[in-house]
Amino acid sequence: MADAVIVVALLLVAASATAAVAQREPARQALVLSVLGVVLAVLFTVLQAPDVGLSQLAVGSALTPLLIMLSVRKVRRQARAKDRAR
Amino acid sequence: MSQRLRLWLLAVGGAGVAALLVAACLDLPAFGGRRHPYGERAVAASLARHTANTIASLNFDQRAYDTLGEISILFAAVLGCLVLLREARDEHRAQPQPAEVALPVRRYALIALPVALLTGLYVIAHGQLSPGGGFQGGVVAATALHLLYLGADYRALERVRPLGVFDVCDALAVSAYAVLGLAGLLAGTAFLANTLLPYGTFNTLSSGGTVPLLNAAVGMEVASAVVLLLAGFLDQAVEIEEERGS
Amino acid sequence: MNGWLLAATVELGGAGAAALWGTATGPLPRRVMAQNLATSAVCPALLLLAQGYGRPSYVDLALLMALLGPVGTLVFARLLADELLDDRPRAWTLTWAAAGLSAAVVVAVCVATGPSRAMVKLLLIGALLIGGNVIASRALAGGFRGVRGA
Repeated sequence: MADAVIVVALLLVAASATAAVAQREPARQALVLSVLGVVLAVLFTVLQAPDVGLSQLAVGSALTPLLIMLSVRKVRRQARAKDRAR
Repeated sequence: MSQRLRLWLLAVGGAGVAALLVAACLDLPAFGGRRHPYGERAVAASLARHTANTIASLNFDQRAYDTLGEISILFAAVLGCLVLLREARDEHRAQPQPAEVALPVRRYALIALPVALLTGLYVIAHGQLSPGGGFQGGVVAATALHLLYLGADYRALERVRPLGVFDVCDALAVSAYAVLGLAGLLAGTAFLANTLLPYGTFNTLSSGGTVPLLNAAVGMEVASAVVLLLAGFLDQAVEIEEERGS
Repeated sequence: MNGWLLAATVELGGAGAAALWGTATGPLPRRVMAQNLATSAVCPALLLLAQGYGRPSYVDLALLMALLGPVGTLVFARLLADELLDDRPRAWTLTWAAAGLSAAVVVAVCVATGPSRAMVKLLLIGALLIGGNVIASRALAGGFRGVRGA
């Protein structure tokens, strides 16, 4: 019965990882990815690995979304500039 | 190589990996077991060196050499990113327009910034006592600075972020880690051996010998590296534009 | 299994799964709002887990999450401001419900801890979590204007 929380965390990780792969648009992928980071941190916590969970939280909740969204913005800006030059 | 051959190659490789994985899983200890030969030895060693957080003792004492490799990888990776993201000859910098941020959001960013910075330092300083350490704290501290970009605009961030200083800090922190290792050698034991400093009182900030110092070096390295990496990305996304017609 | 762990399991299985569903499906404004609420769904669960395992040091995870979760949402609010311009995400009922849930969990854990330095930390986490959540919702509902260039 004490393993119920581990099972729930595992299911959430599996579901959000699958959902992240299933998205086709990078911005939406980044949104699901940030939720995946959060549930992964919970999984590490319930498996008694809080150090890894902290790393995951630090990187996954703000840094990774920022890097992805900045790249998306750069690509879109480039596409807009090319459209204007045409 | 034909499509068919490639698929066959993939199938053979995949089958090999699957077989190895299954073989490895059959030999694993039972899930959630309380006894583990490696864990017991690691905990004993970390208690002998008065380090409350066994993971910190593993990372910065028992296997500190691994961590040296890891921070070198981070250093090299960020260096590579910065070379790729530099301003090329056919690009120029455009001045970004200042953003209009709602007042509550701006206030929140300005209040949360020092709190997050302090939390980052707290996580670095308590690495040998509680979960956390240089990497986690460094990332938090670096992220905290970027609240200025989110809550105000990019020029506000540029003003408090002298990139040259962070460049130097990054390199200095990696060297500091290696120098601490060499200090162990000079003291007559081995590279990165934790014999340099007294172990201190168990479960206090000054315990663990060189663990807090190595933690601080890693924290400085990670924080500088993340700031530099994000600076490269932000420059590309916000300021640098390709010349027209190129 | 004690009551704290049970509460954390229920919270993760209910609110966590709902936030995940909201983030993975539907129009973009709803997804961004669900991403924001994921923080306030999972952070109280981390507090409950720390209490349930009897390990006060696990509270640091909740502290980091309460700090960085809203920052992550601000990233999306800022960099997706153009896309969210026409159809602003608004979910004030849900936002305040999540804030109430966070407050209830923080109070319960505080009562179990008793007055001490640990309780001050818990109260700080609660303030950061609720404040950050409300501000992030505000940011999504039109916190950034005219950032086309930046």
